[in-house]
Amino acid sequence: MTAPDQIGSVTPVRRRPYGLLLVATPVLLVAWLVIWPIISAVIQTAFVTTPDGGSAVSLETYSFFFSDGYSLSNLSMTLWTTGVCAALLLVVCLPIALYLRFSDSKVAAYVQGLAIFPMFVPSIILSFAFIRVLGPNGTVDLLLNSVGLPHIRSPYLTPWGPVIGLVWDNIPLTVLILLSGLGNVSNQAVEAARDVGAGKLALLWHIILPRISNSILVAISFAVLGIFSAFTLPYILGPAAPEMMGPFMQRTFRELLEPKTAITQAVVTFGFCIVFGLFYVRSVAKNRAA
Amino acid sequence: MAATIVTRKTDWTGIIFAAVLTLVIVFPLVVVGTWAFTNVWRYPSVIPQEFGLRFWNQTLARADVWSSISMSLTLAFTVTALSAAICLPAAYAFARMDFPGRNLLFFSFLAGHAFPKFGLLVAIAGIFLQLNLIGTFWGVVLIQLVGTLLFMIWIPVAAFQAVDRRMEEAARDVGASPFRVFWSITLPQAGPTIAAAILLSFVGTFYETEGAWLIGAPQVRTLPVLMISFINNQPVIQYGAVLSVLLWVPSFIALLFARKVVNSGSFARGFGG
Repeated sequence: MTAPDQIGSVTPVRRRPYGLLLVATPVLLVAWLVIWPIISAVIQTAFVTTPDGGSAVSLETYSFFFSDGYSLSNLSMTLWTTGVCAALLLVVCLPIALYLRFSDSKVAAYVQGLAIFPMFVPSIILSFAFIRVLGPNGTVDLLLNSVGLPHIRSPYLTPWGPVIGLVWDNIPLTVLILLSGLGNVSNQAVEAARDVGAGKLALLWHIILPRISNSILVAISFAVLGIFSAFTLPYILGPAAPEMMGPFMQRTFRELLEPKTAITQAVVTFGFCIVFGLFYVRSVAKNRAA
Repeated sequence: MAATIVTRKTDWTGIIFAAVLTLVIVFPLVVVGTWAFTNVWRYPSVIPQEFGLRFWNQTLARADVWSSISMSLTLAFTVTALSAAICLPAAYAFARMDFPGRNLLFFSFLAGHAFPKFGLLVAIAGIFLQLNLIGTFWGVVLIQLVGTLLFMIWIPVAAFQAVDRRMEEAARDVGASPFRVFWSITLPQAGPTIAAAILLSFVGTFYETEGAWLIGAPQVRTLPVLMISFINNQPVIQYGAVLSVLLWVPSFIALLFARKVVNSGSFARGFGG
């Protein structure tokens, strides 16, 4: 991929709007299958059909969601998982990114390769590997047993199952986004601070973190958007109840056959993620236009 | 961490990172690989009692495995071909032509990325329910097609914009037709990046699980969907392990070809980094 030009600057081949015809199909697809479903979901869940055949504004489905104990415990489980994953991702990925930015040893190339590798492992294979390693009688149990130690309390089918899987899955892009942000920290700034006697922590706190705060926010937003409504990993690795919003919506839609309730749950996830979503999209657009 | 900036001695930080990441990232996959080539592995032996290919024969003899392999490949080819057919001309238009609303339409492809993905899929499924597309092949094609649009437009736009315009103009000056210029100058330069975009969208579609499961199941059963049912209901561990190895092949091909793209800074910038 090459560095993009400004989308605003083009040397026009033709000034007539032929271009509109060429872009029409994908644009209409986005309008039909992204923008319309979102509008439709909000409208559909905010109106009820009155007995005389008309429709009236009603937030009934939402008041049900926010008064139903099971829905609320699924929501709080989702919030907990998202929060824990975002925090763990920062704790794990920031040191890796810092190391990769400031090291030029041969080991660094190997570390970078490993950190990016999960991008090339589909989450379904990850789930299977997780169960084989950390599940009951998995490899960890085998190794502990062989040295005479007791079994672990397996995280499989507990809230920690999806946390471990989702963190593993999100390491590559978090590292890449943070590393891209660390590119803005100049070696001179670091050396200058060190010359005046700044310790490692002071360096990190006063010089590096302020310069990459935007990248940290982008990385967190991206992770939150992906984790909040994650489906595959929580469905396979998580507990049956309470469940995360992804499996909850899927079950409501396909097994309980209550599409309106499922769409209400979807709009609730939109509401919780809207700040992260807008921030994320704004950052991507800004980068693309710059 | 930051201290390694000037040190030239043994890179202990790096060695610790490398060891931990190898343990956490490579080890679980090695375990799955081992299971796939194991005939007998009973608890509590640390290594398998008998290695062999017995379960490859058994897995590959299953009809559901073959039908889901062909379903996955058909879906991925259909979606990628459709996506290329509608996105590449659009990408060319965005890169080279001026028309009303160009910027707005270009950034409209980001719309889907402002929302949590599965929530959006449920909203789309609500529309498909009214159109009777639930449980159909074309319903899954549509939902996976939407997922490829952003990549299949934005990456080729960057590729078309990076083509050296002076070469195109020179060719036109010596009398080449617009089609000839496109075929002989533009395409060879933009080609490799576009091929990477097509490969990424093929692999992405092949592994797309959530849309296929929400819209397609149980009628449309792709390889990842079959894998979910193996994990949930199949007591023979080796079936899942063999299927995992098979499933990983497209990712391995992508890994070989796309690593350069992924490691370049512009890839992370494409994600907002």
